[in-house]
Amino acid sequence: MTVANGPQLGVTLYSFTNEWLTRQFDLDTLMHEVARRGLGPNIEIIGFQSFKEFPDVSDRFAGTFKDLVAATGLNPVSLAINSDRFLRPGQQPIDDATLVEYHKRQLRSAKKLGFSLVRYQFALPVHLLPEIAPYAEDLGIRMGVEVHAPMWAGHPAVLAYREMYDKLQSPVLGWIPDFGGTATAIPPSLLDAARAAGAKESLIELVKEIWPEPGMSHEKAGKLREIALKAGHDPRHIQAVNLAFFILSNNDPKSWAELVDRTIHIHGKFYGVNEAGVEEAIPYDTILPLFRDGGFTGTIVSEWEGHAYCEADAFEQVRRHQAMCRRILADEPVAA
Amino acid sequence: MVVPAERVIGEEGLRATPAGLRLAMRLPWYRSLPFSTVAVASVVIDGEPVDLTDVRVEFDDHSWSLAELAEATNVFWFIRDSAFLVMPQACAEPGSEHSVTLTLNVAPPYIPGMIRTNPETATLTVA
Repeated sequence: MTVANGPQLGVTLYSFTNEWLTRQFDLDTLMHEVARRGLGPNIEIIGFQSFKEFPDVSDRFAGTFKDLVAATGLNPVSLAINSDRFLRPGQQPIDDATLVEYHKRQLRSAKKLGFSLVRYQFALPVHLLPEIAPYAEDLGIRMGVEVHAPMWAGHPAVLAYREMYDKLQSPVLGWIPDFGGTATAIPPSLLDAARAAGAKESLIELVKEIWPEPGMSHEKAGKLREIALKAGHDPRHIQAVNLAFFILSNNDPKSWAELVDRTIHIHGKFYGVNEAGVEEAIPYDTILPLFRDGGFTGTIVSEWEGHAYCEADAFEQVRRHQAMCRRILADEPVAA
Repeated sequence: MVVPAERVIGEEGLRATPAGLRLAMRLPWYRSLPFSTVAVASVVIDGEPVDLTDVRVEFDDHSWSLAELAEATNVFWFIRDSAFLVMPQACAEPGSEHSVTLTLNVAPPYIPGMIRTNPETATLTVA
């Protein structure tokens, strides 16, 4: 049971990517299952994952979705939207006007579907915020930019956004921390999956060596790829370990303290919670108290990302993650 | 082991049609993407590369050549649906079994610098 006026828990349907892609559930049955297992009521949905009509949902579909929300008792808190700038690989990004309109289409859909806020991305150039924020204000929907690995509170992109947030003083703009940016290590489960696929131990050592270095994700991935190809490693194994650069970085977990005041929503990213209730790659014991004690009362959605490399039971992983969060938020020690 | 987000061969498998062999494909990602961000890199059937010059990609009401596919920036491949590759240069008898390797390349439009290569091999019976 979470404290009534502290951080609330929930789940992003992204955690159930494997069940979704294999067509085990459709939207109706997945939302009913989440409700039945008590993993809600707060949910996040990725527009482009769950809604075929996205980015322009029809009134008809919005009605269907609202009926589903009512039937399941779930609370649609966050809709994750995307900044799809590079529509043609290797070519110039789309122009600003098109990108602004792309965001507005998604904002309209989010509002129509009944979400309280959207998750947007740093892939939106900061100079376009003065055009988009007023639109969100008029619609009456909040926008949280996801601070995802490799970013952290002190990253230049975050600082640039912070400057713009200070300048605009908009009531709708905030942060959505993703804890993958402050991981302590590459998840052992990710490395084990690479090993199971045949990756040699020398490749595992290489990614562990390069991972903590400064630099952009694709630069580090490119560096590893070059060294590993010369050393004769299989490109598929290289791709498997390179995933680590795009989803995790090892910035200081205490740095989240600088973002608490404008945090409107949180991605509780995790890779594997063991039976003792401890997450393998991310220091929740350090991070959660920062938000609880800093006065955050929004939702932390459990975001299991192990589906990118393994087929564990997502529902069980989310259950464990929520139990772990409850324990930490209530300040209970780990069972011996 | 290929996780669901890496799978490219669709559940509907391989079918013989008057226009050529028709192969079901799934988008190897976790969310829908514009078709212009996906490329059909290669198809190999029983060890022989298939000539992709005249292939069509079909999805819902759409039908594209590979050149047209690269321009399809405003049509989204819904992550749960199969698209279909129609190969005029490939034919096979219904009921026959073949080893099929399909490779799709994906460049997610919101992650600069990432191109993923997704090969998958399956033994398919022609419907």
